[in-house]
Amino acid sequence: MASNVKEAAKYTDLTPAAPLSKADLNKMTWRSLQLQSAFNYERMQAAGWLWGILPGLEKIHTNKEDLAISMSHNMDFFNTHPYLVTFVMGIVLSLEQQKADIATIRSVRVAAMGPLGGIGDALFWYTFMPIVAGITATMAIDGSLVGPILYFVIAFGVQMVLRFWLMSWSYKLGSNAIGILTKNAKEFTRSASILGVFIIGAMVVTFGGTTTRIWIPNGDNPINLQGQLDTIFPKMLPFAITMLCYWLIKKKNFTPVKVILVLLVIGIVGAIFGVWAGDYTPLVDWYTVPAA
Amino acid sequence: MDVIQVILLAVVTFIFAIDQFSLTETLYRPMVACPIIGLCLGDLNTGLVVGGTYELMMVGNMPVGGAQPPNAVLGAVVAMVFAVKSGMGVEAALGSSIIFAVFGQYVVTTVFTIMSGLMSKADKAAEEANPAGITQVTVVSMGLLGALFAVLAILAYTGGTQAAEMLNEVQESASWIMGGLSAAGGMMRFVGFAILMKIMLSSDLWGFFLAGFAMANIISNIEVLANSTMILMAFIGFAIALFDFQVNVNIKNRVGSGTGGTSDGI
Repeated sequence: MASNVKEAAKYTDLTPAAPLSKADLNKMTWRSLQLQSAFNYERMQAAGWLWGILPGLEKIHTNKEDLAISMSHNMDFFNTHPYLVTFVMGIVLSLEQQKADIATIRSVRVAAMGPLGGIGDALFWYTFMPIVAGITATMAIDGSLVGPILYFVIAFGVQMVLRFWLMSWSYKLGSNAIGILTKNAKEFTRSASILGVFIIGAMVVTFGGTTTRIWIPNGDNPINLQGQLDTIFPKMLPFAITMLCYWLIKKKNFTPVKVILVLLVIGIVGAIFGVWAGDYTPLVDWYTVPAA
Repeated sequence: MDVIQVILLAVVTFIFAIDQFSLTETLYRPMVACPIIGLCLGDLNTGLVVGGTYELMMVGNMPVGGAQPPNAVLGAVVAMVFAVKSGMGVEAALGSSIIFAVFGQYVVTTVFTIMSGLMSKADKAAEEANPAGITQVTVVSMGLLGALFAVLAILAYTGGTQAAEMLNEVQESASWIMGGLSAAGGMMRFVGFAILMKIMLSSDLWGFFLAGFAMANIISNIEVLANSTMILMAFIGFAIALFDFQVNVNIKNRVGSGTGGTSDGI
């Protein structure tokens, strides 16, 4: 069973499950608080995401094989803004409930999670919270216990209201849209994949921070390697490493863990020779960074 | 040394360490955490003052896009220990706590790297349709993070400013290890992308991947647009996907009805 679980294109039971109740959705909204509980650099929020929607998946997929298929594809790379995650949850759960094609669910998930990250931080942490912090911090410095209490109630309250509202809204949204989509399921899956793949390409840019700090010794005019790479095209290193990982996984059948070990070696050996950018002292000092 | 204080401090640090990524994501902020630590150490008022001052310092300083700033949880815990126990002024306590905040950041980087290895356990649980296995992975992860933070808090409490000096020395001699680990950590998300690509990227879709990469590169290098890159990309991607959908549905309907563009008489 395990081998075809990952490759499955459709669920074995294609009868739509009963709609999830309000209580189920609320339970998963509370669980969404644990989105980042198993955060890591490879899949980021994947395990927390799956844990969050598990009660729904268990209700929807009553046979064990379908549950395995669903859990497996929900362990894909996942990253979005924690406060807005229930929006993605609602849509994905409505697709799961209708037993949509795996490729469709996967693509919609990627397309929905990507753009939310930037919105959440811009609105919440850079606009709203600085104002709240400004007011309440002054109260606290003056010795008032109201300051921290108010801060907590506002910050936590606003995010919970948002989480509950997004969950019910997006679940409805997904359920309403699905009738139109199943009529043209094949075409929809293809266009959803296009959007997903387009967003993955974008994520290589926005999440890819890998740069080099090497200055190639060249008499009085050392050459900044990163500057040279940027003239070919920016974000060349993230692009190259993504391609390396893809090649190892797709063509060489590496497991993700093996690829991670390869990257660990590249990272640490690189740091010994001062290849990667960062605030550290390399062991081998073979070039000098010119004073700014 | 007051044993009860140490235990209380370790417990709240354990909770804050988890809270900075899960639970409420609010409790750990210096504004709320410092008064609570103040209660544990028996000096609420210092907690309020340190918390308010630290929070103002921290405005806008958030873990965004996976990059880790010096860790606010350990910064807050240790600043409180120094302010209450060593009787330092608020500013001095915050200053001396920075090395612990840096080590907190190291701990986070290390845990996030180690947890990448645990993903294969989660995959296995998923393939076996075993929800309890997923729960285990999340619990182990949270426990590990909390425990490491609690150890550093106890170190600060018992070792005081001497511990700060010791950490400073370690940091200087072994900075390349953390530099390498951070670099590797920053690369690991590409593994996640590669897995997605392996599944989603059929050979006729490569162009869209490259277009997404190129377009995001363009937008993110325009300063006024950089912060809105992903939302703008979603709009563009949506337009392309919708167009493809409409075209293909159209083609299908015409083929289906057998009238495919007969008006020209061919």
